[in-house]
Amino acid sequence: MKKQIPRRQFFLDTVLATGLLGLGAKASAATPAPSHVEHLDNDLERYRKVDPALIRYVRMSHFTLPRPDARRLTIGKDERLYVAAVNSILIFDTRGNSLGEITTTGQVRCVAIAADGTVFAGVKDHVEVFDTKLKRVATWDAPPGKPLVTGIAVAESDVFVADAGNRIVWRCDRSGKLGRRIGEKDTARNIPGFVVPSPYFDVEIGADGLLRVTNPGRHRVETYTFDGDLEFSFGKPGAGIASFCGCCNPCNIELLPDGRVVTFEKGLPRVKVYSAKGELECVVAAPAWFADPARNPDNNIGGLDGAIDASGRIYVLDMIEGDVQVFAPRKASAS
Amino acid sequence: MNESQPSPVSRREFVRGGLRVGAVAALGGLGGVMATRSSADDFLWQIDPQKCSQCGHCATDCVLETSAVKCVQNFSICGYCDLCTGYFEAEPIALNTGAENQLCPTGAIIRKFVEDPYFEYTIAEDLCIGCAKCVKGCALFGNGSFHLQIRHDRCVNCNECAISRACPSDAFRRVPRSKPNIERVIAH
Repeated sequence: MKKQIPRRQFFLDTVLATGLLGLGAKASAATPAPSHVEHLDNDLERYRKVDPALIRYVRMSHFTLPRPDARRLTIGKDERLYVAAVNSILIFDTRGNSLGEITTTGQVRCVAIAADGTVFAGVKDHVEVFDTKLKRVATWDAPPGKPLVTGIAVAESDVFVADAGNRIVWRCDRSGKLGRRIGEKDTARNIPGFVVPSPYFDVEIGADGLLRVTNPGRHRVETYTFDGDLEFSFGKPGAGIASFCGCCNPCNIELLPDGRVVTFEKGLPRVKVYSAKGELECVVAAPAWFADPARNPDNNIGGLDGAIDASGRIYVLDMIEGDVQVFAPRKASAS
Repeated sequence: MNESQPSPVSRREFVRGGLRVGAVAALGGLGGVMATRSSADDFLWQIDPQKCSQCGHCATDCVLETSAVKCVQNFSICGYCDLCTGYFEAEPIALNTGAENQLCPTGAIIRKFVEDPYFEYTIAEDLCIGCAKCVKGCALFGNGSFHLQIRHDRCVNCNECAISRACPSDAFRRVPRSKPNIERVIAH
């Protein structure tokens, strides 16, 4: 008669086999975590260094924003900072103390403040308008095509909307009625057309009554009349300090009261001042002040933006770092 | 003799039991190996482009003579730039296809005029060594449409991928065979 296996032995065998099976599976699947971290030499490292003699601004202060997703920055006549951050506009005083928040219906990409305090927010494909009590008073219809509003400038009776999706600047009245299309390619009028490879496209209004519009794919800042005539432009591609680096820069601009242009770049994050004619005057901040985009895996959201207050201080938003740094002109005695 | 005490195991019985346990263990081990081999067949190595830090290890650490990692172009997010920072050196002499202007050490990127001022960039995979120089240039300044991916027609799917061990950013992971690629997404 065949001998039966005792229950105890059967259990012992099963436990042993299961344990071995588990061990075998673990040994085959386990992958040790990477143990060392290293980086290739950054070929652009030499361009991150800026001649100190060119830097004519000093950093006064900085503050960290409560949210890491800030995209644009502007300043109102009331010296309050407005920061566009995903679905809201955060309001701060110049020291970074929170003063309020406006909630938008979608991702806000840019913000502009009219002289009367009205807030215009570019929300994806349309513009939303808020009164001085931060209450929404209007939502404009989206322009035709594939709009992506990335810049707004407000004049007394006109609003200029930089549309990165359609690569034009819309001239609208204060009620949002679309008017002239500015910057559309027109060889007869000697207008080359905007090239906007990534969603950075800005417009500002100068004290001379002319528009300054970035043409990032052509590495230029172009000047237009309100009627869309191209007056002049400046800028050339290159990683050198006088040029605009990478595929598409400057990403944003601001204007000083005397017509000088402050440019903000991404990739090699730097802030520079150009004369009204387009000659490099000085550097506000070198790349060393900002987060290194090479260390940021999601560098699509990188770049700088800024605002200028009445005393000439430049507030620079670092989108990767999520902070605002304040730079003031270096006094003659200090230089 | 107390009936509750177990009877002593004879030598023959002990040897027989030992053999039985050995046989079961061997079967278990074989099952384990088969099970993991089967799951390895269902999973492949791939690079997460969001984590990739363009360190250059993909070109040097693959067990193959020429790496199975290649640059891939995501046309849907490419800016079709004239001055493509994945194609050109930081300060090119001219924006043309001259070798002295190109960033790629093997000339694996093909630049083709589309319409003023747009150019299309495609990868010649036979020439690409996966060095990530173009990926770095594109990610720093552009939309990051160039990204590295393991080409599964070349990859031998090692149990322990040699590049993954060297990867400083933990960008390598196992993906199901049914979804073998990880697309580069853009945060606008």
